[in-house]
Amino acid sequence: MKNQILAIVKKDIRGITSNHRMFATLLVVPIVLTVLVPTLFILIMRFAPTESPDFQKLLAMLPLAEQNEDTFKNMLRLLLNYMLPTFFMLIPIMAASVMAACSFVGEKEKRTLETLLYCPLSLKQIFRAKVLAAFLLSMLVSAISFAVMLIVLETETCLLAGFFLLPDAKWLLILLLVSPAVSLIAITLIVKTSAKAQSVEDAQQGAVFLLFPVLMLLVGQFTGVLLINAWLLLVIGIVCALLAVLLLKQSMSHFKYETLLK
Amino acid sequence: MNAVTMNSLSKIYAGGKKAVDSVSLSLSQGEVFGFLGPNGAGKTTTVKLLNGMLSPTEGSTSVFGIEPSQNPEKVHALSGVVTEHAQMYDSLTGIQNLIFYGSVFGLGETESKKRGMELLEQLELSDAKDTKLAAYSTGMRQRLSLARALIHQPQILFLDEPTSGLDPESAQNVHSMIRRLSAEKGITVFLCTHQLRYAQEICTRYGLMAEGRLIAEGTLEALRSRIHAGMQVKLKVKNMPPDLARRTDDDTYELPIRSEDEIPQLVQQIAGAGGQIYHVSSKLPSLEDIYFTLTGKKEELPQ
Repeated sequence: MKNQILAIVKKDIRGITSNHRMFATLLVVPIVLTVLVPTLFILIMRFAPTESPDFQKLLAMLPLAEQNEDTFKNMLRLLLNYMLPTFFMLIPIMAASVMAACSFVGEKEKRTLETLLYCPLSLKQIFRAKVLAAFLLSMLVSAISFAVMLIVLETETCLLAGFFLLPDAKWLLILLLVSPAVSLIAITLIVKTSAKAQSVEDAQQGAVFLLFPVLMLLVGQFTGVLLINAWLLLVIGIVCALLAVLLLKQSMSHFKYETLLK
Repeated sequence: MNAVTMNSLSKIYAGGKKAVDSVSLSLSQGEVFGFLGPNGAGKTTTVKLLNGMLSPTEGSTSVFGIEPSQNPEKVHALSGVVTEHAQMYDSLTGIQNLIFYGSVFGLGETESKKRGMELLEQLELSDAKDTKLAAYSTGMRQRLSLARALIHQPQILFLDEPTSGLDPESAQNVHSMIRRLSAEKGITVFLCTHQLRYAQEICTRYGLMAEGRLIAEGTLEALRSRIHAGMQVKLKVKNMPPDLARRTDDDTYELPIRSEDEIPQLVQQIAGAGGQIYHVSSKLPSLEDIYFTLTGKKEELPQ
Protein backbone atom coordinates (compact mmCIF):
# COMPACT_ATOMS: atom_id res chain seq x y z
CA MET A 1 0.00 0.00 0.00
CA LYS A 2 2.81 2.35 0.97
CA ASN A 3 4.54 1.87 -2.38
CA GLN A 4 1.35 2.49 -4.32
CA ILE A 5 0.77 5.77 -2.51
CA LEU A 6 4.43 6.67 -2.93
CA ALA A 7 4.14 6.06 -6.68
CA ILE A 8 1.35 8.65 -6.89
CA VAL A 9 3.33 11.13 -4.78
CA LYS A 10 6.38 10.73 -7.02
CA LYS A 11 4.34 11.02 -10.19
CA ASP A 12 2.58 14.18 -8.96
CA ILE A 13 5.84 15.89 -8.00
CA ARG A 14 7.48 14.90 -11.26
CA GLY A 15 4.37 16.12 -13.09
CA ILE A 16 4.93 19.64 -11.80
CA THR A 17 8.69 19.78 -12.14
CA SER A 18 8.49 18.60 -15.75
CA ASN A 19 5.86 21.20 -16.64
CA HIS A 20 7.98 24.30 -17.38
CA ARG A 21 5.16 26.79 -17.04
CA MET A 22 4.01 25.43 -13.68
CA PHE A 23 7.55 25.07 -12.42
CA ALA A 24 8.34 28.69 -13.32
CA THR A 25 5.22 29.85 -11.44
CA LEU A 26 6.42 27.85 -8.50
CA LEU A 27 9.85 29.51 -8.52
CA VAL A 28 9.03 33.14 -9.30
CA VAL A 29 7.24 34.07 -6.07
CA PRO A 30 9.88 32.61 -3.71
CA ILE A 31 12.71 34.23 -5.68
CA VAL A 32 11.03 37.62 -5.57
CA LEU A 33 10.19 37.33 -1.89
CA THR A 34 13.40 35.85 -0.58
CA VAL A 35 16.03 37.33 -2.91
CA LEU A 36 14.80 40.46 -4.67
CA VAL A 37 12.79 42.10 -1.89
CA PRO A 38 15.44 41.72 0.86
CA THR A 39 18.23 42.78 -1.51
CA LEU A 40 16.36 45.92 -2.54
CA PHE A 41 15.61 46.67 1.09
CA ILE A 42 19.25 46.31 2.11
CA LEU A 43 20.46 48.46 -0.78
CA ILE A 44 17.98 51.22 -0.01
CA MET A 45 18.90 51.15 3.67
CA ARG A 46 22.56 51.31 2.85
CA PHE A 47 22.59 53.96 0.19
CA ALA A 48 19.48 56.07 0.67
CA PRO A 49 19.97 59.25 2.72
CA THR A 50 18.70 58.05 6.10
CA GLU A 51 19.26 61.41 7.75
CA SER A 52 16.27 63.10 6.11
CA PRO A 53 13.60 64.13 8.68
CA ASP A 54 10.87 62.10 6.91
CA PHE A 55 12.87 58.95 7.16
CA GLN A 56 13.64 59.55 10.84
CA LYS A 57 9.92 59.93 11.49
CA LEU A 58 9.28 56.60 9.84
CA LEU A 59 12.01 54.96 11.87
CA ALA A 60 10.49 56.28 15.07
CA MET A 61 7.30 54.35 14.34
CA LEU A 62 9.12 51.08 13.88
CA PRO A 63 9.74 48.64 16.66
CA LEU A 64 13.49 48.85 16.90
CA ALA A 65 14.30 46.91 19.99
CA GLU A 66 17.75 48.14 20.69
CA GLN A 67 17.73 51.84 19.93
CA ASN A 68 21.32 52.26 21.01
CA GLU A 69 22.67 50.36 18.02
CA ASP A 70 23.07 51.93 14.60
CA THR A 71 20.01 52.29 12.41
CA PHE A 72 21.25 50.08 9.62
CA LYS A 73 21.78 47.10 11.88
CA ASN A 74 18.39 47.62 13.49
CA MET A 75 16.67 47.81 10.15
CA LEU A 76 18.31 44.59 9.05
CA ARG A 77 17.08 42.85 12.19
CA LEU A 78 13.61 44.13 11.53
CA LEU A 79 13.84 42.77 8.00
CA LEU A 80 15.06 39.32 8.98
CA ASN A 81 13.02 38.70 12.09
CA TYR A 82 9.76 40.53 11.45
CA MET A 83 9.11 41.04 7.76
CA LEU A 84 10.63 37.99 6.14
CA PRO A 85 8.88 35.45 8.42
CA THR A 86 5.50 36.52 7.08
CA PHE A 87 6.73 35.72 3.58
CA PHE A 88 7.06 32.14 4.74
CA MET A 89 3.31 31.98 5.10
CA LEU A 90 2.84 33.28 1.56
CA ILE A 91 5.30 30.89 -0.03
CA PRO A 92 3.67 27.64 1.15
CA ILE A 93 0.21 28.93 0.25
CA MET A 94 1.41 29.71 -3.24
CA ALA A 95 3.32 26.44 -3.70
CA ALA A 96 0.51 24.33 -2.30
CA SER A 97 -2.06 26.07 -4.52
CA VAL A 98 -0.11 25.53 -7.71
CA MET A 99 0.59 21.91 -6.88
CA ALA A 100 -2.81 20.95 -5.50
CA ALA A 101 -4.71 22.60 -8.34
CA CYS A 102 -2.49 20.89 -10.86
CA SER A 103 -2.77 17.45 -9.29
CA PHE A 104 -6.50 17.45 -8.58
CA VAL A 105 -8.29 19.51 -11.22
CA GLY A 106 -5.44 19.12 -13.70
CA GLU A 107 -6.04 15.36 -13.71
CA LYS A 108 -9.73 15.96 -14.20
CA GLU A 109 -9.11 18.34 -17.08
CA LYS A 110 -6.75 15.94 -18.81
CA ARG A 111 -9.05 12.98 -18.19
CA THR A 112 -6.41 11.05 -16.29
CA LEU A 113 -8.37 11.08 -13.03
CA GLU A 114 -10.77 8.37 -14.18
CA THR A 115 -7.84 6.08 -15.02
CA LEU A 116 -6.38 6.66 -11.57
CA LEU A 117 -9.73 5.90 -9.94
CA TYR A 118 -9.72 2.45 -11.57
CA CYS A 119 -6.68 1.47 -9.50
CA PRO A 120 -7.10 -0.74 -6.43
CA LEU A 121 -6.77 2.13 -3.94
CA SER A 122 -9.70 3.68 -2.15
CA LEU A 123 -10.66 7.26 -2.93
CA LYS A 124 -9.34 8.27 0.49
CA GLN A 125 -5.97 6.70 -0.19
CA ILE A 126 -5.68 8.39 -3.58
CA PHE A 127 -6.50 11.75 -2.08
CA ARG A 128 -4.22 11.22 0.85
CA ALA A 129 -1.41 10.57 -1.63
CA LYS A 130 -2.22 13.73 -3.54
CA VAL A 131 -2.42 15.87 -0.42
CA LEU A 132 0.89 14.42 0.71
CA ALA A 133 2.52 15.24 -2.64
CA ALA A 134 1.32 18.85 -2.53
CA PHE A 135 2.37 19.16 1.12
CA LEU A 136 5.86 17.73 0.57
CA LEU A 137 6.48 19.96 -2.42
CA SER A 138 5.33 23.08 -0.61
CA MET A 139 7.57 22.23 2.36
CA LEU A 140 10.49 21.61 0.05
CA VAL A 141 9.97 24.96 -1.66
CA SER A 142 9.79 26.67 1.76
CA ALA A 143 12.95 24.98 3.01
CA ILE A 144 14.93 25.81 -0.13
CA SER A 145 13.63 29.39 -0.06
CA PHE A 146 14.76 29.74 3.54
CA ALA A 147 18.24 28.46 2.75
CA VAL A 148 18.59 30.71 -0.30
CA MET A 149 17.28 33.71 1.61
CA LEU A 150 19.73 33.17 4.44
CA ILE A 151 22.70 32.81 2.11
CA VAL A 152 21.78 35.94 0.13
CA LEU A 153 21.06 37.98 3.23
CA GLU A 154 24.19 36.96 5.10
CA THR A 155 26.42 37.55 2.07
CA GLU A 156 24.96 40.98 1.48
CA THR A 157 25.16 42.17 5.08
CA CYS A 158 28.62 40.76 5.44
CA LEU A 159 29.83 42.58 2.34
CA LEU A 160 28.05 45.86 3.02
CA ALA A 161 28.25 46.09 6.79
CA GLY A 162 30.80 43.52 7.84
CA PHE A 163 28.68 41.50 10.28
CA PHE A 164 26.41 38.45 10.32
CA LEU A 165 22.74 38.61 11.19
CA LEU A 166 21.26 35.95 13.42
CA PRO A 167 17.78 34.59 12.73
CA ASP A 168 15.88 34.39 16.02
CA ALA A 169 13.83 31.54 17.51
CA LYS A 170 10.65 32.67 15.75
CA TRP A 171 12.01 31.09 12.59
CA LEU A 172 11.78 27.64 14.12
CA LEU A 173 8.09 28.15 14.82
CA ILE A 174 7.52 29.54 11.36
CA LEU A 175 9.25 26.76 9.50
CA LEU A 176 8.13 23.84 11.63
CA LEU A 177 4.60 24.81 12.61
CA VAL A 178 3.04 27.80 10.88
CA SER A 179 4.27 27.11 7.35
CA PRO A 180 3.19 23.45 7.33
CA ALA A 181 -0.21 24.26 8.85
CA VAL A 182 -0.95 27.12 6.47
CA SER A 183 0.13 24.98 3.54
CA LEU A 184 -2.23 22.17 4.62
CA ILE A 185 -5.13 24.62 4.86
CA ALA A 186 -4.42 25.88 1.35
CA ILE A 187 -4.29 22.30 0.00
CA THR A 188 -7.53 21.37 1.72
CA LEU A 189 -9.34 24.39 0.33
CA ILE A 190 -8.17 23.52 -3.17
CA VAL A 191 -9.17 19.90 -2.70
CA LYS A 192 -12.60 20.96 -1.53
CA THR A 193 -13.20 23.20 -4.50
CA SER A 194 -11.60 20.78 -6.93
CA ALA A 195 -14.45 18.29 -6.69
CA LYS A 196 -16.70 20.85 -8.34
CA ALA A 197 -14.19 22.99 -10.20
CA GLN A 198 -13.81 22.39 -13.92
CA SER A 199 -10.48 24.15 -14.42
CA VAL A 200 -7.22 24.73 -12.55
CA GLU A 201 -7.96 28.46 -12.29
CA ASP A 202 -11.33 27.79 -10.63
CA ALA A 203 -9.68 25.71 -7.96
CA GLN A 204 -6.91 28.20 -7.25
CA GLN A 205 -9.40 30.95 -6.52
CA GLY A 206 -10.43 29.01 -3.42
CA ALA A 207 -7.08 29.62 -1.78
CA VAL A 208 -6.77 33.28 -2.72
CA PHE A 209 -8.71 34.60 0.24
CA LEU A 210 -6.26 32.81 2.49
CA LEU A 211 -3.72 35.38 1.39
CA PHE A 212 -5.58 38.29 2.97
CA PRO A 213 -4.88 37.55 6.64
CA VAL A 214 -1.24 36.92 5.76
CA LEU A 215 -1.01 40.20 3.86
CA MET A 216 -2.53 42.00 6.86
CA LEU A 217 0.07 40.46 9.09
CA LEU A 218 2.72 41.61 6.65
CA VAL A 219 1.41 45.17 6.63
CA GLY A 220 1.41 44.95 10.42
CA GLN A 221 5.16 44.35 10.37
CA PHE A 222 5.87 47.31 8.12
CA THR A 223 3.79 49.74 10.09
CA GLY A 224 4.46 48.36 13.54
CA VAL A 225 0.74 47.93 14.29
CA LEU A 226 0.70 44.16 14.80
CA LEU A 227 4.14 42.76 15.35
CA ILE A 228 4.73 39.05 15.34
CA ASN A 229 6.27 37.47 18.36
CA ALA A 230 6.86 33.88 19.37
CA TRP A 231 3.57 33.65 21.30
CA LEU A 232 1.49 35.05 18.51
CA LEU A 233 3.12 32.64 16.07
CA LEU A 234 2.55 29.71 18.37
CA VAL A 235 -1.14 30.57 18.64
CA ILE A 236 -1.47 31.13 14.88
CA GLY A 237 0.38 27.86 14.24
CA ILE A 238 -1.75 25.76 16.59
CA VAL A 239 -5.03 27.26 15.36
CA CYS A 240 -4.03 26.74 11.73
CA ALA A 241 -2.89 23.16 12.36
CA LEU A 242 -6.17 22.26 14.08
CA LEU A 243 -8.15 23.94 11.34
CA ALA A 244 -6.17 22.09 8.69
CA VAL A 245 -6.80 18.69 10.24
CA LEU A 246 -10.51 19.41 10.67
CA LEU A 247 -10.92 20.70 7.14
CA LEU A 248 -8.97 17.80 5.70
CA LYS A 249 -11.12 15.19 7.45
CA GLN A 250 -14.30 16.93 6.49
CA SER A 251 -13.40 17.43 2.83
CA MET A 252 -12.35 13.81 2.31
CA SER A 253 -15.54 12.36 3.69
CA HIS A 254 -17.51 14.09 0.94
CA PHE A 255 -15.76 12.48 -2.00
CA LYS A 256 -17.58 10.06 -4.21
CA TYR A 257 -16.61 8.73 -7.63
CA GLU A 258 -19.81 10.03 -9.08
CA THR A 259 -19.26 13.68 -8.08
CA LEU A 260 -15.62 13.60 -9.12
CA LEU A 261 -16.19 12.32 -12.62
CA LYS A 262 -18.92 14.76 -13.56
CA MET B 1 -18.60 -18.56 -9.65
CA ASN B 2 -19.91 -16.17 -12.29
CA ALA B 3 -17.49 -13.50 -13.44
CA VAL B 4 -20.27 -10.92 -13.63
CA THR B 5 -23.82 -10.98 -12.34
CA MET B 6 -26.39 -8.24 -12.84
CA ASN B 7 -29.82 -8.41 -11.24
CA SER B 8 -32.42 -5.95 -12.56
CA LEU B 9 -29.64 -3.37 -12.68
CA SER B 10 -30.92 0.17 -13.29
CA LYS B 11 -29.32 3.57 -13.30
CA ILE B 12 -31.23 6.82 -13.45
CA TYR B 13 -29.01 9.92 -13.63
CA ALA B 14 -29.68 13.04 -11.59
CA GLY B 15 -31.30 14.69 -14.61
CA GLY B 16 -33.88 11.87 -14.78
CA LYS B 17 -32.34 10.02 -17.73
CA LYS B 18 -32.73 6.27 -17.41
CA ALA B 19 -29.41 5.08 -18.83
CA VAL B 20 -29.71 1.43 -17.79
CA ASP B 21 -33.12 -0.16 -17.40
CA SER B 22 -33.51 -3.43 -15.42
CA VAL B 23 -30.67 -5.33 -17.02
CA SER B 24 -30.21 -8.90 -15.79
CA LEU B 25 -27.28 -10.85 -17.09
CA SER B 26 -24.54 -13.22 -16.04
CA LEU B 27 -21.14 -13.96 -17.51
CA SER B 28 -19.14 -17.12 -16.92
CA GLN B 29 -15.39 -17.00 -16.49
CA GLY B 30 -13.41 -16.99 -19.72
CA GLU B 31 -16.28 -15.72 -21.87
CA VAL B 32 -15.78 -12.98 -24.45
CA PHE B 33 -19.06 -11.18 -24.07
CA GLY B 34 -20.08 -8.61 -26.66
CA PHE B 35 -22.23 -5.85 -25.16
CA LEU B 36 -23.60 -4.24 -28.26
CA GLY B 37 -25.61 -1.21 -29.19
CA PRO B 38 -25.33 2.31 -30.52
CA ASN B 39 -23.90 5.20 -28.49
CA GLY B 40 -26.34 6.16 -25.76
CA ALA B 41 -27.61 2.59 -25.36
CA GLY B 42 -26.22 2.38 -21.82
CA LYS B 43 -23.04 0.41 -22.42
CA THR B 44 -20.58 2.84 -20.78
CA THR B 45 -22.92 3.39 -17.83
CA THR B 46 -23.03 -0.38 -17.32
CA VAL B 47 -19.22 -0.56 -17.30
CA LYS B 48 -19.12 2.24 -14.71
CA LEU B 49 -21.71 0.43 -12.57
CA LEU B 50 -19.66 -2.76 -12.78
CA ASN B 51 -16.58 -0.88 -11.55
CA GLY B 52 -18.26 1.04 -8.78
CA MET B 53 -17.78 4.44 -10.45
CA LEU B 54 -21.56 4.77 -10.30
CA SER B 55 -23.99 3.34 -7.76
CA PRO B 56 -27.05 1.54 -9.10
CA THR B 57 -30.41 3.25 -8.64
CA GLU B 58 -32.08 -0.16 -8.44
CA GLY B 59 -30.96 -3.76 -8.58
CA SER B 60 -27.53 -5.13 -7.83
CA THR B 61 -24.39 -6.35 -9.49
CA SER B 62 -21.31 -8.31 -8.58
CA VAL B 63 -17.95 -9.00 -10.16
CA PHE B 64 -16.39 -12.28 -9.01
CA GLY B 65 -18.75 -12.14 -6.04
CA ILE B 66 -17.69 -8.63 -5.00
CA GLU B 67 -20.20 -5.83 -4.99
CA PRO B 68 -18.57 -2.91 -6.84
CA SER B 69 -20.52 -0.15 -5.12
CA GLN B 70 -19.40 -1.49 -1.71
CA ASN B 71 -15.81 -2.50 -2.45
CA PRO B 72 -14.74 -0.76 -5.64
CA GLU B 73 -11.03 -1.12 -4.94
CA LYS B 74 -11.36 -4.90 -4.62
CA VAL B 75 -13.07 -5.06 -8.01
CA HIS B 76 -10.38 -2.80 -9.47
CA ALA B 77 -7.67 -5.20 -8.33
CA LEU B 78 -9.26 -7.90 -10.52
CA SER B 79 -10.28 -5.80 -13.48
CA GLY B 80 -8.65 -3.89 -16.32
CA VAL B 81 -10.67 -1.07 -17.82
CA VAL B 82 -10.28 0.65 -21.17
CA THR B 83 -12.68 3.50 -21.83
CA GLU B 84 -12.52 6.59 -23.97
CA HIS B 85 -12.46 8.81 -20.87
CA ALA B 86 -9.64 7.02 -19.10
CA GLN B 87 -6.55 8.73 -20.51
CA MET B 88 -2.91 8.55 -19.42
CA TYR B 89 -0.24 11.18 -18.78
CA ASP B 90 0.94 13.17 -21.80
CA SER B 91 4.09 14.30 -20.00
CA LEU B 92 5.28 10.72 -19.45
CA THR B 93 6.60 8.30 -22.07
CA GLY B 94 4.81 5.10 -22.97
CA ILE B 95 6.90 2.92 -20.69
CA GLN B 96 6.88 5.50 -17.85
CA ASN B 97 3.10 5.48 -17.96
CA LEU B 98 3.01 1.69 -17.75
CA ILE B 99 5.54 1.64 -14.90
CA PHE B 100 3.45 4.19 -13.00
CA TYR B 101 0.20 2.25 -13.40
CA GLY B 102 2.01 -0.99 -12.60
CA SER B 103 3.25 0.51 -9.32
CA VAL B 104 -0.19 1.86 -8.49
CA PHE B 105 -1.56 -1.66 -8.99
CA GLY B 106 0.99 -2.95 -6.50
CA LEU B 107 3.70 -4.29 -8.80
CA GLY B 108 7.30 -3.41 -8.03
CA GLU B 109 9.09 -1.04 -10.38
CA THR B 110 11.23 -3.78 -11.96
CA GLU B 111 8.25 -6.05 -12.45
CA SER B 112 6.16 -3.20 -13.89
CA LYS B 113 8.91 -2.42 -16.36
CA LYS B 114 9.28 -6.06 -17.42
CA ARG B 115 5.51 -6.50 -17.88
CA GLY B 116 5.30 -3.14 -19.60
CA MET B 117 7.99 -4.02 -22.13
CA GLU B 118 6.30 -7.35 -22.90
CA LEU B 119 2.96 -5.67 -23.48
CA LEU B 120 4.48 -2.92 -25.62
CA GLU B 121 6.08 -5.63 -27.72
CA GLN B 122 2.79 -7.51 -28.12
CA LEU B 123 0.94 -4.36 -29.07
CA GLU B 124 3.66 -3.23 -31.47
CA LEU B 125 4.56 -0.14 -29.48
CA SER B 126 8.17 -1.04 -28.62
CA ASP B 127 9.55 1.64 -30.96
CA ALA B 128 7.50 4.33 -29.23
CA LYS B 129 8.31 3.25 -25.66
CA ASP B 130 10.47 6.30 -24.96
CA THR B 131 8.23 8.75 -26.81
CA LYS B 132 6.09 11.05 -24.69
CA LEU B 133 2.42 10.24 -24.89
CA ALA B 134 1.70 13.73 -26.22
CA ALA B 135 3.19 12.60 -29.54
CA TYR B 136 1.13 9.38 -29.75
CA SER B 137 -1.58 8.98 -32.38
CA THR B 138 -5.12 8.01 -31.34
CA GLY B 139 -4.48 4.42 -32.33
CA MET B 140 -1.26 4.24 -30.35
CA ARG B 141 -2.96 5.72 -27.28
CA GLN B 142 -5.71 3.18 -27.58
CA ARG B 143 -3.22 0.31 -27.72
CA LEU B 144 -1.27 1.74 -24.78
CA SER B 145 -4.53 1.91 -22.83
CA LEU B 146 -4.98 -1.78 -23.49
CA ALA B 147 -1.44 -2.43 -22.26
CA ARG B 148 -2.20 -0.35 -19.16
CA ALA B 149 -5.37 -2.36 -18.48
CA LEU B 150 -3.40 -5.61 -18.75
CA ILE B 151 -0.37 -4.60 -16.66
CA HIS B 152 -1.61 -6.25 -13.44
CA GLN B 153 -2.83 -9.42 -15.20
CA PRO B 154 -6.51 -8.84 -14.51
CA GLN B 155 -9.09 -11.63 -14.42
CA ILE B 156 -11.64 -9.56 -16.28
CA LEU B 157 -11.26 -6.89 -18.94
CA PHE B 158 -13.85 -4.18 -19.49
CA LEU B 159 -13.27 -2.77 -22.95
CA ASP B 160 -15.40 0.15 -24.05
CA GLU B 161 -14.95 0.65 -27.81
CA PRO B 162 -11.33 -0.61 -27.72
CA THR B 163 -10.85 -0.43 -31.47
CA SER B 164 -12.37 2.97 -32.17
CA GLY B 165 -9.77 5.12 -33.90
CA LEU B 166 -7.67 2.12 -34.91
CA ASP B 167 -6.80 1.33 -38.51
CA PRO B 168 -8.10 -2.06 -39.72
CA GLU B 169 -4.71 -3.74 -39.23
CA SER B 170 -4.29 -2.56 -35.63
CA ALA B 171 -7.91 -3.42 -34.90
CA GLN B 172 -7.26 -6.93 -36.19
CA ASN B 173 -4.18 -7.10 -34.01
CA VAL B 174 -6.13 -6.04 -30.90
CA HIS B 175 -8.85 -8.58 -31.69
CA SER B 176 -6.44 -11.47 -31.97
CA MET B 177 -4.85 -10.37 -28.70
CA ILE B 178 -8.25 -10.34 -26.95
CA ARG B 179 -9.02 -13.80 -28.32
CA ARG B 180 -5.64 -15.10 -27.20
CA LEU B 181 -6.02 -13.66 -23.70
CA SER B 182 -9.33 -15.37 -23.28
CA ALA B 183 -8.24 -18.69 -24.78
CA GLU B 184 -4.82 -18.98 -23.11
CA LYS B 185 -5.26 -17.18 -19.81
CA GLY B 186 -8.99 -17.62 -19.26
CA ILE B 187 -9.54 -13.87 -18.93
CA THR B 188 -13.19 -12.86 -19.06
CA VAL B 189 -13.81 -10.04 -21.54
CA PHE B 190 -16.71 -7.60 -21.40
CA LEU B 191 -16.52 -5.88 -24.76
CA CYS B 192 -18.72 -2.87 -25.48
CA THR B 193 -18.92 -1.80 -29.08
CA HIS B 194 -21.19 -0.42 -31.76
CA GLN B 195 -19.12 -2.14 -34.43
CA LEU B 196 -21.19 -5.30 -34.71
CA ARG B 197 -19.12 -6.75 -37.52
CA TYR B 198 -15.97 -6.71 -35.37
CA ALA B 199 -17.83 -8.10 -32.39
CA GLN B 200 -19.01 -11.06 -34.44
CA GLU B 201 -15.38 -11.99 -35.11
CA ILE B 202 -14.30 -12.35 -31.50
CA CYS B 203 -17.18 -12.74 -29.08
CA THR B 204 -18.58 -16.00 -27.79
CA ARG B 205 -21.85 -14.52 -26.55
CA TYR B 206 -23.72 -11.28 -27.04
CA GLY B 207 -26.05 -8.89 -25.30
CA LEU B 208 -27.92 -6.43 -27.51
CA MET B 209 -28.74 -3.10 -25.89
CA ALA B 210 -31.19 -0.46 -27.05
CA GLU B 211 -32.10 2.62 -25.03
CA GLY B 212 -30.87 1.16 -21.76
CA ARG B 213 -32.68 -2.15 -22.13
CA LEU B 214 -31.20 -5.54 -22.90
CA ILE B 215 -33.30 -6.62 -25.87
CA ALA B 216 -31.68 -10.00 -26.50
CA GLU B 217 -28.87 -12.13 -25.16
CA GLY B 218 -27.18 -15.38 -26.17
CA THR B 219 -24.83 -17.02 -28.66
CA LEU B 220 -25.02 -16.11 -32.34
CA GLU B 221 -26.98 -19.33 -33.04
CA ALA B 222 -29.43 -18.62 -30.26
CA LEU B 223 -29.94 -15.08 -31.49
CA ARG B 224 -30.41 -16.27 -35.08
CA SER B 225 -33.07 -18.72 -34.01
CA ARG B 226 -34.88 -15.86 -32.29
CA ILE B 227 -35.47 -13.96 -35.51
CA HIS B 228 -36.21 -16.68 -38.05
CA ALA B 229 -34.96 -20.17 -38.74
CA GLY B 230 -33.34 -19.72 -42.10
CA MET B 231 -30.82 -18.10 -44.39
CA GLN B 232 -30.52 -15.93 -47.45
CA VAL B 233 -29.43 -17.26 -50.86
CA LYS B 234 -27.65 -14.92 -53.22
CA LEU B 235 -27.77 -15.74 -56.93
CA LYS B 236 -26.32 -14.28 -60.12
CA VAL B 237 -28.45 -15.49 -63.01
CA LYS B 238 -29.09 -14.45 -66.61
CA ASN B 239 -32.60 -15.04 -67.91
CA MET B 240 -34.00 -15.61 -64.41
CA PRO B 241 -37.50 -17.09 -64.39
CA PRO B 242 -39.92 -14.37 -63.22
CA ASP B 243 -41.22 -14.14 -59.63
CA LEU B 244 -38.78 -16.66 -58.21
CA ALA B 245 -36.55 -14.29 -56.23
CA ARG B 246 -36.16 -10.62 -55.30
CA ARG B 247 -33.88 -8.72 -57.67
CA THR B 248 -31.22 -6.68 -55.89
CA ASP B 249 -29.07 -5.54 -58.80
CA ASP B 250 -28.42 -6.38 -62.48
CA ASP B 251 -28.71 -10.17 -62.69
CA THR B 252 -28.37 -10.62 -58.92
CA TYR B 253 -31.19 -11.95 -56.79
CA GLU B 254 -31.86 -12.84 -53.17
CA LEU B 255 -34.36 -15.13 -51.56
CA PRO B 256 -34.91 -16.61 -48.11
CA ILE B 257 -34.74 -20.37 -47.61
CA ARG B 258 -35.08 -22.61 -44.60
CA SER B 259 -31.85 -24.61 -45.05
CA GLU B 260 -29.10 -25.45 -47.53
CA ASP B 261 -31.05 -28.59 -48.52
CA GLU B 262 -33.29 -26.40 -50.64
CA ILE B 263 -30.44 -25.14 -52.81
CA PRO B 264 -30.06 -28.10 -55.30
CA GLN B 265 -33.76 -28.05 -56.09
CA LEU B 266 -33.68 -24.27 -56.54
CA VAL B 267 -30.74 -24.52 -58.95
CA GLN B 268 -32.47 -27.24 -60.98
CA GLN B 269 -35.63 -25.17 -61.15
CA ILE B 270 -33.74 -22.12 -62.52
CA ALA B 271 -31.66 -24.15 -64.98
CA GLY B 272 -34.76 -26.05 -66.13
CA ALA B 273 -36.50 -22.77 -66.94
CA GLY B 274 -33.53 -21.68 -69.09
CA GLY B 275 -31.70 -19.51 -66.55
CA GLN B 276 -27.88 -19.33 -66.74
CA ILE B 277 -26.39 -19.50 -63.26
CA TYR B 278 -23.08 -17.67 -62.54
CA HIS B 279 -23.08 -17.62 -58.75
CA VAL B 280 -24.89 -19.20 -55.81
CA SER B 281 -24.11 -18.54 -52.15
CA SER B 282 -25.95 -18.77 -48.88
CA LYS B 283 -25.55 -16.50 -45.90
CA LEU B 284 -26.71 -16.82 -42.31
CA PRO B 285 -28.06 -13.63 -40.74
CA SER B 286 -25.22 -11.53 -39.30
CA LEU B 287 -25.31 -9.79 -35.93
CA GLU B 288 -26.23 -6.60 -37.74
CA ASP B 289 -29.17 -8.33 -39.45
CA ILE B 290 -30.28 -9.68 -36.08
CA TYR B 291 -29.90 -6.32 -34.32
CA PHE B 292 -31.88 -4.44 -36.95
CA THR B 293 -34.57 -7.07 -37.09
CA LEU B 294 -34.97 -6.98 -33.32
CA THR B 295 -34.99 -3.20 -33.02
CA GLY B 296 -37.00 -2.78 -36.19
CA LYS B 297 -34.41 -0.37 -37.52
CA LYS B 298 -33.01 -0.62 -41.02
CA GLU B 299 -30.26 1.96 -41.04
CA GLU B 300 -26.62 1.69 -39.90
CA LEU B 301 -25.90 2.00 -36.21
CA PRO B 302 -25.31 5.64 -35.30
CA GLN B 303 -21.69 6.29 -34.36
